Amino acid sequence: MSPILEIRGLSKRFGGVTALSGVDLAIEEGEILGVVGPNGSGKTTLFNVVTGVHMPSGGSVSFRGRDITGLKPHAISRAGIGYTFQQAMAFAGLRVLENVQIAGEHVRVNAGASHHPWPTPLALLDFVGLAALADERAGVLPFGSLRLLGLALALASRPALLLLDEPAAGLNDRETAALVGLVRQLPGHGITVCVIDHDMKLMQMLCRRLAVLDFGSKIADGPTGAVLADPKVLDVYLGGDL
Amino acid sequence: MIASRQPNGSAISALRSLLPVLVVLALIALVPLLSPSNRFLSLAISAGINVIALYGLSVLFGQTGILSMGHAALVGVGAYTAAILARDLCTGFWLALPAAALASALFAMIVGIPSLRVGGHHFVIMTFAFGQLLAIVLTNGGDYTGAATGLDLVGPVTLFGADMSDLTRYYLMVVAFVAAAAVASWAIINSPYGRTLRAIRENERLAASLGINVGRHKIGAFVVSGIFAGISGVLLAHFLGHISPTQFASFPSIYLALMVMIGGARLIAGPLAGGILVAFLPEVLNLDPVQSRIVYGVCLIAVILLLPEGLIAGVGQVFRRLLASGQPKQEREELDTASTTPSEVRR
Repeated sequence: MSPILEIRGLSKRFGGVTALSGVDLAIEEGEILGVVGPNGSGKTTLFNVVTGVHMPSGGSVSFRGRDITGLKPHAISRAGIGYTFQQAMAFAGLRVLENVQIAGEHVRVNAGASHHPWPTPLALLDFVGLAALADERAGVLPFGSLRLLGLALALASRPALLLLDEPAAGLNDRETAALVGLVRQLPGHGITVCVIDHDMKLMQMLCRRLAVLDFGSKIADGPTGAVLADPKVLDVYLGGDL
Repeated sequence: MIASRQPNGSAISALRSLLPVLVVLALIALVPLLSPSNRFLSLAISAGINVIALYGLSVLFGQTGILSMGHAALVGVGAYTAAILARDLCTGFWLALPAAALASALFAMIVGIPSLRVGGHHFVIMTFAFGQLLAIVLTNGGDYTGAATGLDLVGPVTLFGADMSDLTRYYLMVVAFVAAAAVASWAIINSPYGRTLRAIRENERLAASLGINVGRHKIGAFVVSGIFAGISGVLLAHFLGHISPTQFASFPSIYLALMVMIGGARLIAGPLAGGILVAFLPEVLNLDPVQSRIVYGVCLIAVILLLPEGLIAGVGQVFRRLLASGQPKQEREELDTASTTPSEVRR
């Protein structure tokens, strides 16, 4: 089976700084893949290049066999890649339900998704546990709820692949557990997931497979247990001293 | 359950926002019964013509969150289109309307495509520069644009055979156009399109991540505001009978931005309130032009600091507080506290 997302030789340079150098990564349909690495290893840059925020300096990205390298963010979203941001984001001045309604309004052109029945905005809010807050202004939500709303927004855009950038950052243990419970259900609904984080505990809970980035290069890729036992990974990730 | 209740509830509350505006406009339409002076009518017509452009600006600034500091240029394109068509093709008022709307929309697109590639403050500067540029082009346009002298516009405005050039009739016609502009702006604000524009205003990156083509929608909003401006320009040209480049340069543009900010760009009553207030404030206070500019400046600073959502939203806030507290005697105190709340809520 061919992977849903295939990244080949992806590079990104900002002036003289190389953020990514020749990264190859394949995401298989239906898995939850974790991308880990220390701060500045290129994780978020990888997301930003895949989602069209940055143009790659080299390499290619193909999604379901279609080349999407260098497409604009909205086009990538319409192609079926949803993503959430490291900073929890919502349309603060609009009501929670309106937020999710907007999120679902601009993806009908996505031919792949339009044939499936998709949950209504309210059902999505129910899924993430925010239905009771549907009429509140998004700006007044506490941080944990804002993260969940971000997830609902990304889901409303009918993704086949969902990229989560540090989804648990700033959440307490209870909120993190709730989020893990939600994300684990996604492959069952036909949504492939790729998570970036440096929280190893979270990654062990979520992912069977991990890819490790360091200084913009992939240094390991495989089953979570094997990757975490890899001395190379231990060295860069936990620091040579440990 | 909530889902079935929601659209109904918001449709009614949306209508509730439009109704006061239409009632006020109906009352304004009755003013000629009081046999007002010609000076009052002229002033009111100018204000009304501005308000039409302001309704377009409210879609751009209030909904989409982008501010044009060259909006008078779009009005100018409409006015010159009307004048040139009348001179070269003997086109009357009614045919000039769609032509000018189209011309202003096109000009907005031409300005918008390069300007909106750069965001935020740069767009403000770009529109300002384009506004100045248009004035320079018109001034150097030779006989075609009438150079610095401008163009005369002759020919009566008729509606169903009736001559509308008479001041009172023109006044009534402008009021009708203002009502149409208010309804059009209201319809845009309450449509899914308006909601998309608000999403862009709130968070561009998030909007793009959800499949919204941010660039195209921003240019679209600018083009929509251009249509309003073009129509406003035709009414202006036929009202004044003579147009010249300075009318559409930087000062009028700044005034338009000021009016929409003072009135409040996000509420449907805002443009009407801003347009009327800025037009009649110097009359009521008996100010000369220099003094009135100072007053406008102070007003703008006060509104930005105290009532960031504009005068109408601020007044509404005060009213709600008065009703809630039931202590109308402490009006001054209430005013002070109420005026600080919008900024607190927003932050």
